[in-house]
Amino acid sequence: MKVTNSSDPRRFSPEELLSDGNYTEPLFANGVRCHGGFDADGTYRSPRTLVRGPAIEAWQAQLAQEGAELIEIPVALMPPQYPNADQVLLLVNESVRDPIVRALTIISIVEGFGAIVRDIKVPDLEKLVVEPIDGTALAHLRGGLLEAHARDEAGYRDQGGHKQMWEAARDLAFENPRIPPDVLMRMMGRRGRQKKRQPLFPQIDAGLERMLTTLVQVLVVEVFAEGTFEWGKTILGDPEVSAAPGPAGKMVSYIQSDEKPHVEYLRTVLSELRARTIRDQRGGTIDGRRLIDGYLHRTLRVITRNRRAEQREDTRASLADAAKGARDPVGLMERFDQLESDWTPPVKTGFEPREPDSARL
Amino acid sequence: MKLATRIRRSARVARTGVHLWSIYKIPAFARRCLFRPPRPLDATHHRAAQALLRCALDLRGVIIKMCQAVATRADVFPPPFIETLKQCHDAVPPKPFSQIAAVVESELGKPLDALFVEFEEVPLASASLAQVHRARLRDGRQVAVKVQYPDIEAIVHTDLVNMRRACAVYEFFDPQPLELLPLLGELTAHIEMELDFRREADCADRVRAIFASEGGVIVPQIYREWSSRRVLTMELVDGIKITDLAAIQAAGLDPAEVVQNLMHVFVRMILAAGFFQADPHPGNLFVRSNQDIVVMDFGLSKELPEGFGLGLFELMFSMMTLNEAAMIRAFKALGFETRSGEDDTFLLIARRMMSRSDSGRFEGEFTEEMTNELFEAIRENPVVRVPSDFVLVGRVFSLLSGIAHTLGHRANVLEAMGAAT
Repeated sequence: MKVTNSSDPRRFSPEELLSDGNYTEPLFANGVRCHGGFDADGTYRSPRTLVRGPAIEAWQAQLAQEGAELIEIPVALMPPQYPNADQVLLLVNESVRDPIVRALTIISIVEGFGAIVRDIKVPDLEKLVVEPIDGTALAHLRGGLLEAHARDEAGYRDQGGHKQMWEAARDLAFENPRIPPDVLMRMMGRRGRQKKRQPLFPQIDAGLERMLTTLVQVLVVEVFAEGTFEWGKTILGDPEVSAAPGPAGKMVSYIQSDEKPHVEYLRTVLSELRARTIRDQRGGTIDGRRLIDGYLHRTLRVITRNRRAEQREDTRASLADAAKGARDPVGLMERFDQLESDWTPPVKTGFEPREPDSARL
Repeated sequence: MKLATRIRRSARVARTGVHLWSIYKIPAFARRCLFRPPRPLDATHHRAAQALLRCALDLRGVIIKMCQAVATRADVFPPPFIETLKQCHDAVPPKPFSQIAAVVESELGKPLDALFVEFEEVPLASASLAQVHRARLRDGRQVAVKVQYPDIEAIVHTDLVNMRRACAVYEFFDPQPLELLPLLGELTAHIEMELDFRREADCADRVRAIFASEGGVIVPQIYREWSSRRVLTMELVDGIKITDLAAIQAAGLDPAEVVQNLMHVFVRMILAAGFFQADPHPGNLFVRSNQDIVVMDFGLSKELPEGFGLGLFELMFSMMTLNEAAMIRAFKALGFETRSGEDDTFLLIARRMMSRSDSGRFEGEFTEEMTNELFEAIRENPVVRVPSDFVLVGRVFSLLSGIAHTLGHRANVLEAMGAAT
């Protein structure tokens, strides 16, 4: 790996960004060695944050100095978890556990899939961005940020990551349950053949388009995961649901704290680009704000509308199947539906395009 | 089958067996007597593989099948066997039409012209156990008729008995046998499945059902009224051969999307549904101008045990994410066993897999090279039990990777699961 000039407070080597502090106690999740660990006073420390944490703060401070704002995804856009904690409690009290075990397994797999950020091809940003990017988070994507993120999600070498931590939380809470065999089928769901997505800004470099599409999607998923963590802590920490409310609930809180650097570096990177100008392939330029807002708007609309509705429908179908084993399936589903959180996606995403691209969105 | 034929086949198998034994054992014995160290066996493996190939092309039937099976077991057999015996996939000449027509008439109980208004004498394809002819039903529907070779069941039975004897003799004399009998048992099970076309019809229906809700996959309809245990009549489906890059591009299709859709089909069957067509060689796969993937030939279809798909996913995922601890857990969960019962062997295999890529990344793909690397690592390390389903799936993914590379793309398992969308 290339080591950069570490005397500059905003330039870091990959080794630095991947470095860990000294833990007094390593983290074991249901017997599996995982990343991170504990200080002498028992405080959990996230992995690879010794330098990465201060580095992100330094890049964000620089951004603020430049007068640029940090992207905020409106909390109102976050869809509620389905089934919610009350619905989970109802199902567990009726001995319908498979859907919850399935949901937790799917969460663990989706977390693990976060490691795909490792495979993002970062184009030559020095060439594509008009303003300098030296000493920004953008310049460190390939230099440790994406790799650290990937390792956090899926584990690395002899240490487990979030995937294994969610599995441990599930296994602790439900006492090593049988995993429903249809997990992957349900996960792949109805989506079937994927249609090739049309580029939102065909005038820009295709590699940059792909990178931005993925980074924006990952950011939105990471931000919305906050709701999943709260849900996880509530249900897995509830003694009426969980056989190990303390350890299982805490495991989710460790994951939650590990995810913060992901949200922060992603919003920093995208905010840095949003405050800059991008060269297009026709010899012109495009305002970074128009570009980033366009991707955010498209992604937020898809996730809060179509995908949320599809996932809810699929999940409900699987719940109704599972409920057939209960004493009063119809009554159970009626009570289940009554407990559903009322939510309608806001009309606006907050990133509406102001230019003719709206016709395509 | 005539007694003379049976004797001829038995003698041919015995002669090949003795030949194989002698080219390995006599030079080794001579070198031991002369206190010389053993020589590398590559040239001997090559000679042995050539002898097997000659025997297979001479006798056909189950010997061809066996060689095809050997060519897929890179975890057991050295590379010269794999390379040489791959030829068995394309080297089967057809049987005379009169023999084929006789099978159809006897199986379906009517003269050929009472069943079909047209029946082409030249087959569309010929394989080790059967050949396929284009035909037209009396109601006008175009069909493909797969017909088993006459006497093939008796030939298979004789060949399996011969091979079982040869393997038993080999294992009796060799102090460190290659554990051929379990492999033969596996082969026998597969061939029995392939010889019952009613089962193949059921498998086709089952795969069609997996995709019923999402579409995008064409499995030819089976016309059971014109089918039996030895004759299978199915809808004639057209399409572009999956590896015909020029035709794919000429049809306005994006090869990257074709690869993605093909991967999605097999990932869904194997990892999600736990039931799959286990022979995705290019002759069995087509794509249509609307991007639908056509899957044919369900003779070798396999049901995976409950949880196996998830276990496989965990193994592949841990490799792709460089998590050796998870990889070791997945090996054990899938039923791999080491001689010592310790994890060290799995750790060695895991580390070898992790270090094989210059970039340190797999990018979601299982290439033929990676599969070979894994099987070589398994062969060189004392893993005493490799689940046969794993071998079959490994072969499927390496075949798919080969197709993807022919089209200039990568066979990305993660993308096929929808991870990147």
